[in-house]
Parts: sequence; C-alpha cells; structure tokens
Amino acid sequence: MSFPELREELLALFARGVAEPLPEVVFNGLALRVFRFQCRENAPYRGFVARRGTDPDAVARWQDIPFLPTRAFKAAPLVSGDPAAVQRVFRTSGTTGGREARGEHHVLDLALYQASLLPNLQAHLLPEGGPMPILCLLPSPEEAPDSSLSFMMGEAVRVFGVEGLGDPTENGSAPPVGEPQGPLGGGGFFVDSNGGIQVRPFREALGGAVAGREAVLLAGTAFAFVQWLELAGKGGWEVSLPEGSRIMETGGYKGRTRALTREDLYRGLGEAFGVPAQRIVSEYGMTELLSQFYEPNLAEGADGSGQWAEAVAGRFHGGPPWVRTRILDPLTLGEMPEGEPGLLAHMDLANLGSVSGILTEDLGRRVPGGFQLVGRREGAEPRGCSLAMEDFLGPPGEGP
Amino acid sequence: MATLQEPPARPLEHPVLGEERIRELMTFLRRARDERLVEVPVARVVGAVDKVARRLLDSGDPLRRAALGELGPQAGLSDAMAEIILDRMAFDWTKERLLRLLESEFPDPLVLDGFRRGAMGGSLRALGFPLTFHLGAGTVPGVSVTSLVRALLVKSSVLLKPGRGDVVLPVVFARGLEEEDPVLSESVAVLYWPGAGGAPGEVALRGADLVVAYGGDDTVRWVRQRLPAATPLRAYRHRLGVGLLGRAALGGEAGSSAAAAARAVAVFDQRGCVSPHVLFVEEGGETDPVRWAALLARAFRDLEVSLPSGPLPPEQGAALQQLRGWAEMEEGAGRGVVHHGGGEAPWTVVFQPHGELEPTCLARTVRVIPVGDLHEAVAAMEGWRPYLQTVGVAGLGEREEELAESLARLGVSRMAPLDAVPWPPPWWHHDGDGPLRALVRWTDVEPEG
Repeated sequence: MSFPELREELLALFARGVAEPLPEVVFNGLALRVFRFQCRENAPYRGFVARRGTDPDAVARWQDIPFLPTRAFKAAPLVSGDPAAVQRVFRTSGTTGGREARGEHHVLDLALYQASLLPNLQAHLLPEGGPMPILCLLPSPEEAPDSSLSFMMGEAVRVFGVEGLGDPTENGSAPPVGEPQGPLGGGGFFVDSNGGIQVRPFREALGGAVAGREAVLLAGTAFAFVQWLELAGKGGWEVSLPEGSRIMETGGYKGRTRALTREDLYRGLGEAFGVPAQRIVSEYGMTELLSQFYEPNLAEGADGSGQWAEAVAGRFHGGPPWVRTRILDPLTLGEMPEGEPGLLAHMDLANLGSVSGILTEDLGRRVPGGFQLVGRREGAEPRGCSLAMEDFLGPPGEGP
Repeated sequence: MATLQEPPARPLEHPVLGEERIRELMTFLRRARDERLVEVPVARVVGAVDKVARRLLDSGDPLRRAALGELGPQAGLSDAMAEIILDRMAFDWTKERLLRLLESEFPDPLVLDGFRRGAMGGSLRALGFPLTFHLGAGTVPGVSVTSLVRALLVKSSVLLKPGRGDVVLPVVFARGLEEEDPVLSESVAVLYWPGAGGAPGEVALRGADLVVAYGGDDTVRWVRQRLPAATPLRAYRHRLGVGLLGRAALGGEAGSSAAAAARAVAVFDQRGCVSPHVLFVEEGGETDPVRWAALLARAFRDLEVSLPSGPLPPEQGAALQQLRGWAEMEEGAGRGVVHHGGGEAPWTVVFQPHGELEPTCLARTVRVIPVGDLHEAVAAMEGWRPYLQTVGVAGLGEREEELAESLARLGVSRMAPLDAVPWPPPWWHHDGDGPLRALVRWTDVEPEG
C-alpha cells in the first residue's frame, strides 16, 4: 500500500464523520495496513519494532503492534515517507530545565490532520453545526506555527467561524484568523507567543460577545484559563456570555502554576464567563497525535442543570472511530483488566505519515464509551524523569 | 534520607487527631522531657534503644515478626528488601553502634548528661531542644526511627510524622520502647496524617522547638514558609547519587564492580538519597564502558532473584516506559545502548555516550556515561552542587585523595565504596552535618578570673 492509496482511504473514512462506529474488523484491517506501511517507510520506527521482537507481517491484531512511547519523538524525526515532503513540524512545549530536546511531530500531510480534527471538533463543540465565533486563549497559528493546538483552533476558526461553514476536508489557504469579520469576526487568538494574555483585546471580544447576544465558543488551555481567572478576579472582569456559549478546556498546566482541581477550575470558569460546567468540554490531545479526544457532554445535549461536582464526576473522553485506545500495565504493557488504571496507548490512523501506535505517559481507566484520565494517587506526586527534574529545579508550587 | 517518590503503599488506617489534641499532646511531650527525659542518663537511652533494636533483630521475637509482616507491603518493597533494610537499620540502633556515634560526635559524650570540663577551660554542656517535630519522607523505611533515636540521645522529646511508606517501623519501635522503658517512651509520639503538611503539620511546626524535615524541595519550602522565625530547621532534601568507576575497577574486577553498583542502585529500589542515578565509567580500562554496562545489566537481572523489586508505582512505570522507548530509539540511531528487564522487572540500564547528569526514573533505572577521565565526571557534577551528597566509587587507586578533594570542594559530603553506598554508618555527616551536633545547643560556663 502506498501513502496516496492509504491517504485516500482514510480521508474517505474521516469524511463519514464521527457518529458512525467503525466495526472492529474494518479498523483492524486498516490499522494493520497502516502499521506495515509505517514499518516499511519509517526506518527508526522499524528499528523499534524489530527491537521489540515483532515481525510486522506476523501481526494479526492491531493490539499487538508495539506502541511507541511519545518521548521517542525527541530522539529522531519519525516520518513514514520522504522527509523532504514534510509540510509542517509541530513541537511539544519545552521542559523546565531545557536540557532535553523538544518532541517533534513531522507532519507529511496537513490534510489528514484537518480531516480528522474538524468533524470531531464539530460534533463535540458545535453539535448544532455552527457557525459560531470562536475566541481562543491561545497564540494564533501565525504566532505559534509549531503548535498543533494553535493549528487546530486556527482551522476551527477558519471553517466554523461566523463567516460560514466551509468544507471540512478542504485544503485551501486559510484566511487570516483573528481578523475582525463582523462584530466579533470569526473569532480570534488572545495569547501572544510568549504566553501572555492580551488582556484588552480579549476583554473587548468578551464585551462584544455579550453585546452581540450571540453564543460563542471559548477555547483555551487550563493554564491560560487559570491565569485569566486570577486577572478577572482582581479586575472584576467577570462576564456572562450569551446563552448557548460553551468552553473547550484542554490540559497542560501541570507543574506550571498552582494546582487547581477540575471542580474548582470549572466553578471559576462559570463565575468568570457565565458558562455552566455542563457546557464546558475537556479536550485531550497531544502534539504526537493528529486526532483528539473529547468529553461527550455537549454532544449529548447537557441541559445545564445539576451540581458542579456532579457535572464533572463520571465524565470521560472518547475518540473518533479511527482511533482505538488501550489501557496497559505500566510494567508488562499487557492489557489492564476492565476499569483498572494503566497507561493510555492510542492507535491513531490519522498519524499515517508518522507513527500511529503511540504509548503516552498518561494514566487512565476504561469506561463504556472511552476512558477516564486518572489523577494522581492521594499523597503521590507525578514524577517521571523530567518531572523529577522539575522538582529538583524547584518549580512554583503550593507545597504538599 | 530524602528521596523522590512515595511508594505504592497499602491503604493505611490511622486515627485522626484534631488540632486541639495535637496541641495537648505536644504539651505532654514537652513536660515529659523537662521533668523526666532530661534527667535520664544518655547511657540509659542507649540501653533502651539497644534492647528494642535487639528484639527487632531476633527472629523469634514477636516485635520483629510484627515489623516484617507489614513492612514490605506497606512500603511497597519486596519482603526480601524489607528484611535486609530492617536488619541493617536495626543493627545501627544497637549499643555498639550508638556508642560509636556518640564518641564520634562528642569527645566527651557525658556533656549530654551535665556540665563537663571544656578543653579551653571552663565547662560546657550540650542539650537537645525540648520538643522536636520530625517530618519523614516515607520513601525509605527506618529513616524516621533513626531520626527519632538521634533526638532521644540528646534528650529531646519527639513528635514524629512518618511518610506513608515508613509508618510500620516507628510504630513498632515506639511499642517496643514502651515495653522496655516506659519513662523514655513518654517522650515519643508517632502520628500519621495524609500528605506532608496540612493543618496538623502547621500546628506541629508552630509548637516545636526544632523541626527536622525530610523531603523534596517543595516539602522543605512548605515547611520554611510556615516555620516561626525562632525555630531552627534541619532539612534533609533530595539528593542526586552518583557513581564513579575508575579503570582499576574495570579489569578482572569488572564483574564485581558491576555487581556492587547494581546493588547500590537496587537497595531501597533506588529511593534513597544515597542511591546512584548516574554511573560515570572510565574508558581505557580492560573492560570498556559499554561492556561494563552489559555486566551491570546482568547484575540487575541476578538481583531480581535475591533482592526482587517491589511493585512498580504506575507513575514510575509511565516514566520508565518513556525512558525505555526513547533509549531504544537512541540505540537505533547509534547513540548508545539500552538493557532492561522488559515486562519482568523495571531495571533499566541506559549506556549513553555524551549523556548528562540527570535524575532517572527510580525503580532501578540508571545511566552509564563513559568518560575519558574521572575528572570529566567531576566537572559534570558542577551544575548539581546543591543536590550532591553521596558519591560511590570503585577503582580510583592512587587518585582517591585527589578526587576526594575535588568532590569536597563541590560540596559532596560522602564518598564511599559502591558496596557501602546504601548503608552510611550512624556517625556519618548526614548532608554534611553532624547527626547529633545538629540537634543540640551548647551552654558554656566560662571560668572566673
């Protein structure tokens, strides 16, 4: 199988959207073809597979594919194809100590990324279809060309911003995002490249949303939201966004600012923006994966009632049909029994141009419909190698 | 021995004391010290501690059986590991060892019982602070008992809050002490609450005369922020253990130096402040560093039989798998070699030319970095000055003195043969300070005229 053949097959699959489940046998067949293609075209990955004692042609179940730890993206460019054809390199954020290289995801074909992210995002954040102004507490794709998250939200603004629905699989040149296109425009980005929130433009955009009485999608990292909550609390800048507004929150503040439980964060977001927890959706994604996972609370039509805590407890993340997730024993890498926490490993077919089977550093447990990310055990601290080093280097913290 | 991560401890049942009760308890402990402990001769303290230690070493004694029954599961260590730790720790609480500790710390240990003539004339006396609060790290069992014993030797009452993985030994020890010397045991209380600090921790910090804290930088910072200005703190923080292997250890002895290094890493499943994370191995010996790394891997494999790993905490497993995957890719790119225990055991050896000195993932993961000369290793340690403590060595030959001087100038407080690395003697200068002298105040009486 060649890259163009697999690409066409995947684009057709993604175009069917996320609602229709993919039968296991179909996923398995496709996953194995992708895996063998990657072994053939991607020498570093082939070496890893060989070292793990796996013969690509002998694998019959996608579960038996050796899952590559994300940190391997720091060791070598992982391109399944011609490195000269790479369209974009996304990079993971740097570590505190700066001693270790950043992970690099070399993306051969941005169309696969677009085709995977758009229907999934639409189904979970804009289930009514859109369009809707999208305000992002993120740097713009122009400011942060190596951020996969900024790229994703740039696509969302381009396609689902108020200018109207485009073709989700269209690979045209995007109009400049963040430019005013109406009272609010298609949306905008309100964090500069060094991470600071552009306070005045963001306040103006919020004010515009309130004045225009049209619902908005507010998207950002938990880290940026925590920063905003502090600013808004001091400045008395709380707003009540119009009915129907929603928030996408994505992880990434571990170790960088004071720890806030999800309940506290969502309560704070409710106070700062007037958006109830039922309309706050957590997105879980990573630079190394071109597909994302969302909580289904908005897709399934939350009614906005209930207690804050209840709205968060019991939530889970699910991926699109072209991704399957395994929960693995941290030592043996065998499947964990149902409901028990283990390492999350994802088989993401959208990663055709790099490596599809990815072992993450995150812990989770399987639940019907997806997986729950597992927080740390009480009293334990998350200290992998790099985290151990962060501790050595003394990050800001509230103490034990 | 401050360390990196709480072990996967078994759920713990413990009474919850309100802040008022903790205050009452501290009042009681202070009175017990002022009215009784301060009158107890140091020899009696040594005798009582020795009796408990001997019971912990006696395979027929119910105290030892009680300790061993819970120690491994509670600490997240294998039973074999728990047993060797108990044996080594309790040995250091026996009379002979304690007397040597006292002699090492005080030319005349009787200064702890009353005024003695000083070398410069006049007389002097050393006495511990009335009430000491000890905050344990919980990663290495036994460490908090050692802290408790040190305080009793200088006649301080002890309120001990051990870390989660080090609860069994202090409780068993306190029970033994109550049986052997009830008066002495009135000066000891062991309490547990989850987490290092919290509200009970703040009460204890405010009420103590001296605080001894073991833990990471975040714990120490937390303590410092809450400590009254007049209360001294003895903090034992995270440390980064290092090993240096000179050419002389890479000849016919290469197998034994690898075995000693593996054991130094494996004891406590690498959670000790003394545990090495990085081993610098000199090139130009009979066994080259990459070959030595393979010998080290074999030694780790053998140790899984005699001294098995404890259960792997999921967070450590997550980091371990990332390290292995990354190192395998590096190997594929011709930058190093990795050996590991696969799904059988967590031990992992990463041979890494041009590697940097960095903490590893624990659970017996170690970097082997080749160097042309050991002075390169000393230079690599420069950036880690505040975290240096123990350097394990082998095969230094005639360079020992010269290297010791270089290490001392960096702030290294202990250089020890690799096989001694896990077990510093009771009289070691713990993080560079005298273990008992750090706990006393001196009173000088100057001669008249």
